Amino acid sequence: MTKRIVLSLAVGFLFLAGLLPLLLLLIQSVSEEGRLTFDAYRDLLFTKNQWILLGRSLVLAGLCALVSTVTGTTLGLILGKTDLPWRRTFTVLYALPLFVPPYIMAVSWFHILGREGLVRGLLGPTVAAVTSDWLLGLPGCVWILSSIFSPLVMLLTLAFIRGIPPRLEEAGRIVASWTGVLRHVTIPMILPAVMLSALLVFILTLGEFGVPHFLRYHVFPVEFFTQFAAFYDFRAATVMAMPLIGLTLMALAFERLCLRKKTYIIQSIGHGQRRLVIPLNRSRRVGILILVGTLSFMWTVLPLLTLLFESLSSSAYPRAWTLAGHSLMRSLVYSAIAATVLTMLGLLTGYLVHDRSFRFWMFLDSIILFLFALPGSVLGIGLILLWNRPVTQAVYASPMILLLGLVAKYAALTHRISVSTLEQIPASMEEAACMAGARWLRRFRQILIPLARPGLIVAWLTAFIFCMRDTELAMLVYPPGCDTLPVRTFTLMANGSSDLIAALCMIMVLGTLIPLGLLSLAMKGCWGGHVEYPISIRP
Amino acid sequence: MSSIRFQSVHKILGDRQVLQDLSLEVGPGERVAILGPSGCGKTTLLRLAAGLIAPDQGRIEINGIPVAEDGRNLIEPEDRQVGMVFQDLALWPHLTVSGNLAFGLKVKGTPKQERLSRIHEMLQLVHMESRAHARPAQLSGGEQQRVALARALVLQPKILVMDEPLSSLDEDLRAELRSEILKWHREIGFTLLYVTHDRGEASTMGQRILTMKNGSIQ
Repeated sequence: MTKRIVLSLAVGFLFLAGLLPLLLLLIQSVSEEGRLTFDAYRDLLFTKNQWILLGRSLVLAGLCALVSTVTGTTLGLILGKTDLPWRRTFTVLYALPLFVPPYIMAVSWFHILGREGLVRGLLGPTVAAVTSDWLLGLPGCVWILSSIFSPLVMLLTLAFIRGIPPRLEEAGRIVASWTGVLRHVTIPMILPAVMLSALLVFILTLGEFGVPHFLRYHVFPVEFFTQFAAFYDFRAATVMAMPLIGLTLMALAFERLCLRKKTYIIQSIGHGQRRLVIPLNRSRRVGILILVGTLSFMWTVLPLLTLLFESLSSSAYPRAWTLAGHSLMRSLVYSAIAATVLTMLGLLTGYLVHDRSFRFWMFLDSIILFLFALPGSVLGIGLILLWNRPVTQAVYASPMILLLGLVAKYAALTHRISVSTLEQIPASMEEAACMAGARWLRRFRQILIPLARPGLIVAWLTAFIFCMRDTELAMLVYPPGCDTLPVRTFTLMANGSSDLIAALCMIMVLGTLIPLGLLSLAMKGCWGGHVEYPISIRP
Repeated sequence: MSSIRFQSVHKILGDRQVLQDLSLEVGPGERVAILGPSGCGKTTLLRLAAGLIAPDQGRIEINGIPVAEDGRNLIEPEDRQVGMVFQDLALWPHLTVSGNLAFGLKVKGTPKQERLSRIHEMLQLVHMESRAHARPAQLSGGEQQRVALARALVLQPKILVMDEPLSSLDEDLRAELRSEILKWHREIGFTLLYVTHDRGEASTMGQRILTMKNGSIQ
């Protein structure tokens, strides 16, 4: 009984934070002064410009998904399967752009390829004019967003490669070369993960606002945001949210119908089993090292170094601290609170899905993923619609609305980490506690939570990083005087000096890098994070 | 000591009929060994007795009191006074040996002094008193086996179900532990349902040997 009550409360909270705002958004889009109307949809459907914008968004999302998938999978295979030196360093370097607000990468590339950028100093104004035109358009958006989302594909590929039992590849090696094993064993086994990550990149790019807005490439989310933020046209914005919701739903339906059954559960291989690595000969090692090193320099080191050098003026950091110090503190506090709530909520919903506690577990799983995939700005408008009422001002005018939004948006992260963690704990652990007479809450508190501790630490830090970098949602719902660092930086970009903006971006990057360092420590098994089961019990 | 009775029990797991029309009665203090090939439903039978799953049809009684009937548990596992030794032992890795034994006693609200003395007594019985503060990962296979048995026995269950508990051990250790389990059975007295796929082990452990095939007793 307690189990059902606690899990129902978790589901109810998620409904309130994420689903109810979207339902209100849907109702708002088809009603005007209390009557049912589809006028706004008709306007949307018959406006050529909207179709052009939607087409641009789809092209951008498709190209980014393609580039990210090819690059991310290749990197994942190289870093996960070969004996290339400095694999861990490269993995961290490639992963960095994923963990900072996307527009920061756009800012740094503007400092490199813009008319007044690094290229002008090195190659002259004519070349800079060409690179600037290239940057402020589709190619620039694809280049930057691919550098941000390729790590997602790479990390998922790495995770799945690490889950392949070595004996399967060994069985292949007896009859085939490594090329054959990769083609017929390894790649087919990770293919569902690759397809899933391609789909995720597609959805995330589709809703991306920061980079196209900064690079002045007009796509659907930019128009949607402008309708709301600049013209405060609530109805137009809610109607424009519908195609984004529809496309996200279609992509998730595809994932559910076509990929879910093929996606294997990520499981770490048993202790004592070593992953098989492909030994590279000297010439291949040098060649691949140059390629991987050059790309990591281009995608991560160069943009961050440019920002760093741009920010190195005597007054930039003191000014940045004066203007945004409070915002940084708020970001840290809000992210810590949201991450704590997310970790608890994720563990409960993860348990619900793992245990199939309710019949609607699959629906809940899909809803959580849907909320993550949905553009933050759409969720933000839904939250404003729900809470901007005289009786709910306590929520609307306080950081509570932002916390609700962050919890709804990022529940998928802690939820999926919890599901994976719980999958690794043998069912007999909880059953043994049950046989010892412990009721559900005690089993949950004293057996499952301690066993899931390493996963919970990773979940907390992942949630913290994503809450720290959130821009789109925070931009819409932050209460007056309570903005976060990404929002403050974004707003100051309009008229701040370039060294100040670069300093703000560097503070933002550092604010993310420190937790990221902690995350890598946690994943290495610090703080007793590694739980050893007494005998081999993993299936 | 308690009796347990299965009456026309059916169980489907996924799309497979695991048990069909199974009836079985085990008397108080009796030792019954259940023998059969993999997938014949032995473990499912034990999990039904423990209450970890409920029968789709049929009834299970303990001491004449119905504990599960037609798709639902009438008495939850934590209230059945059934002990279980799992095939993978399921020792909690974050607790010490004495912590593993203390958990169930704490749940039942046993006073601290009594709890400590029962843990000490039980660890003496299984010759593990010197390893009370070790974690499961620091124990050998045989030691882990003893702790799992001690954890089940410290709660003084009326019925003990054991799911191939010795399958991961070498032959010498198995023989030693078999004779110790029989000794503990004589000293403590409990009804034993012992699942194995080893015919020799079944004949040592069971006063009665039942063979299962395709979800029913032959």
